[in-house]
Amino acid sequence: MIILAILLMPLISALAVYLLKKDAFSRIVPVFAGAVNAVLCGLLAYMPETLHLTGTLSLKVDRNGFLILAITDMLFLLTSLHLYSWQKEDAKKSTGHQGMKYSSFAALLLLFFFTMTLTALVQDFGMLWVAVEATTLASAPLINFHRGKGSLEAMWKYLLICSIGIGVALFGTMLLAASLNDPHAGLGFTQVKMLAKSNCDIIWFKLGFVLCFAGYALKMGLAPFHTWLPDAHSEAPAPVSALLSGSLLNCALLAILRLLDTVPPELSGFAAGNLKFLGFFSLAVAAFFIIHQKDFKRMLAYSSVEHMGLIILFMAYGIANAGMVHVMTHSLTKMALFLVAGNILLSYGTRSVDQVRGLFDRLPRNGALWIFGLLLICGTPPSPLFFTEISLVWRAGYFEGAVILLLLLIIFCGMAARMLKMTAPAGEKPALDRETDKLAKVPFGAMTLITLLGIFIGAAWIINGVQK
Amino acid sequence: MNQFNELLLAVFLLSCLMLAISSRLLHCIRYAALQGIVLGILPLTLAQGHFEGSLVMALVNLLVKGIGLPLLICRAMHKAGINRELEPIAGYTVSALTVMLAALASFWFAGKLTLPAGASEAAGFAVPVAFTTVLTGLFIVIARKKALTQIIGFLIFENGITLFGAAVMREHPVIVELGILLDVLVLVFIMGIAINQINREFSHIDSDRLNQLDDISENTEVVK
Repeated sequence: MIILAILLMPLISALAVYLLKKDAFSRIVPVFAGAVNAVLCGLLAYMPETLHLTGTLSLKVDRNGFLILAITDMLFLLTSLHLYSWQKEDAKKSTGHQGMKYSSFAALLLLFFFTMTLTALVQDFGMLWVAVEATTLASAPLINFHRGKGSLEAMWKYLLICSIGIGVALFGTMLLAASLNDPHAGLGFTQVKMLAKSNCDIIWFKLGFVLCFAGYALKMGLAPFHTWLPDAHSEAPAPVSALLSGSLLNCALLAILRLLDTVPPELSGFAAGNLKFLGFFSLAVAAFFIIHQKDFKRMLAYSSVEHMGLIILFMAYGIANAGMVHVMTHSLTKMALFLVAGNILLSYGTRSVDQVRGLFDRLPRNGALWIFGLLLICGTPPSPLFFTEISLVWRAGYFEGAVILLLLLIIFCGMAARMLKMTAPAGEKPALDRETDKLAKVPFGAMTLITLLGIFIGAAWIINGVQK
Repeated sequence: MNQFNELLLAVFLLSCLMLAISSRLLHCIRYAALQGIVLGILPLTLAQGHFEGSLVMALVNLLVKGIGLPLLICRAMHKAGINRELEPIAGYTVSALTVMLAALASFWFAGKLTLPAGASEAAGFAVPVAFTTVLTGLFIVIARKKALTQIIGFLIFENGITLFGAAVMREHPVIVELGILLDVLVLVFIMGIAINQINREFSHIDSDRLNQLDDISENTEVVK
C-alpha cells in the first residue's frame, strides 16, 4: 500500500497541477507531494513491503534502493520549498517570459520525481531500463524552461546522447539475458545474480556487462561519456539543476550498483578495473576543465563529474558504505550550491565568473553560503566528504591515493579561485538585492544539516579511535 | 518457414544498406517503417509454431514501430519543411562501404560466439543482422547532420536491439515490453517537438551547427 501511494502521489499531483493551470497552485502542490512522499518513505523504513505486479515482477525497497529513495525524497522536498519562493522572483525578473508555463513546469517536475522514485523501487533489469529512460524523458523538457538558444541546444544534446547511451544499456540488458542459460529466466536482480554465479555464458555476460555499464555510466556523467552533463546542468533553471545533479545522477549510480551486484566472482577483477578507469578519468577531466572554467554553473557541473568519479572509485575499492555517505553528502551540498548559483544568476543575470563581483555587498547571505559551500564540497572538515575522501585515499594505497589527492587539490584550487573571485569587491559598491537574498533559506538549511552530519561522523570517528 | 525467416532477415539487412545510401528523408522513414513491420512479424515466424508470447504484443509492436513512429517523424519532417539530407558528414559511397564493413565484422564476430541456449534456429543469421542494424543506426546518428536523420538513426539502432531480443527468444514480461515501447514513442514525440523548436529558433536543424555551448568561449548571453 505504501509503495503504491508513494508512486501515485506524484502522478496524481502532476495531473492536478497540469489540469488546474493556476500558478499559485503549481507552487504549493510540489511541496505537498514532496512532504507526503518523505513521510511515506520514512514509514517504508519501518514497514518494508513488497508490491507484486504480474508474474515475477515486483516493487520493493532494499538497502541501496532505500538510500537513493530517501535522498531523492529529501532533495525533492527541499527543492520544491525553494521553488515556492524562487518562482515568484523568477516571474518578476524575467519580464516577457517566453518560456514554459509554470503549471506545465511543476507537472513535469512531479513526473520527473515519479520516474526517479520508480527507479529506486524496481527489482528487475528490464523495468530498471524503462524507469531510467523515463527519467531522461521527463527531465529533458525541464532543461528548456526558459526557451533560449543555449537551453534548446542543451536539451537536444541531452535527449540524443542520453537516449543513445541508455539504448546501449538496453542492448547490454538483452545480452545479459542471453548469457543466462535458462530461456525462461526473468531479469529480476536476485535471479540474475543467482544464475550468473551458477549457469551463465561468461563471454555473453562480459559483453552485456560492458555495454550496460557504459550506458548507465553515460547517464551518471562519468568521463569520457560526460559531454552532455555540463551543458544540461548549466542551462537548466536552478531547481532543475539541483535535482539533476543531486538525485538523477544517483539513480544512474543505483543502476550501476544493481549491475555490480550480479557480477560473478570470476569477473569481479575485470569489473573493478572498468570502474577504476572511469573513476580516475572523471577526476582528471573534471580537474582539467575546472581550472579554466569561466562559467560558474558549468564549474559546479564539472564538480559533479568529479564526485561521480569519486563515488565510482569507492565502489571499485570495495568501501561501499563510505561511498553511500559520500553520495548523500554530495547530493545535499550540490543541491544547495546549485540553488545559491541560481540566486546569483537571478540577481546578476549572467553565468560568467568575470561579471560577478561584490557578492558580499549585493547578496550577503548567498555570498556566505557560496563560500561555505565551497569548503563543504571540497571536503574541508567538518564536511562528511573529508572523512569519506580520507578513507578512500587510505584504501587506494600510496600511488593511486597520491593521484587522487593531487587531482582533488587541483579541483579545490580551481573552484576556490573562481568562487572567491566572485566575492571580491566591485569597483563601485553594488546595491543590496534584498528580495533575491531572501532565497537563501533552503540552501542554509541543507548546509546546516550536512555540517551536523559531519560533526556527528567526526565525533564517532574520534570516539571509535580512542576506544581502539 | 526457415526460408521465410531468412527472407525477412535479408530484407532487414538490405534496408540497412538502403538507409545508408538514400538522401531523401521520406525514403529513410519508409525503410525504418519496413523494419518495424518485419519486427512485428518475426517473433511469430521465428518461433516455428511454438509461439508462447502474446499475439497482442506482436500487433502492438507492429503498429507502433511500423506505423506510429514513422508517422510521428513524417509529421516533424513536414513541419520543419526539410526533405533531404544534402551534405552528410560521411558521403553516401563511404556510408555504403561502412555498412558493408559493419555487416562483415558482425558476421565474423557472431560466428565466434556460441549461441545462447533456447535461441531460435534462425538465430545464427538473426544475431549478426541485429549487430549490423545496431551499428548502422549508430553510424547514421554520427554521420548525418540533420536532427531528423539522427532520430531515424536512433530508431534503426533500437530496431536492431529489438531484433536481437527476438532472435535469442527472451520473452520480457508484457509490462517491460510495453514500457520500452512507450519510452521510445515518447522519446520520438519529444524529439519531434524539440526539432520544431530548434527550427523556429535557429531556422535550421543542422545538429553540427548547434555548437554554442563549450568550455572555452565565454558565454555572456543573458539568461535568467
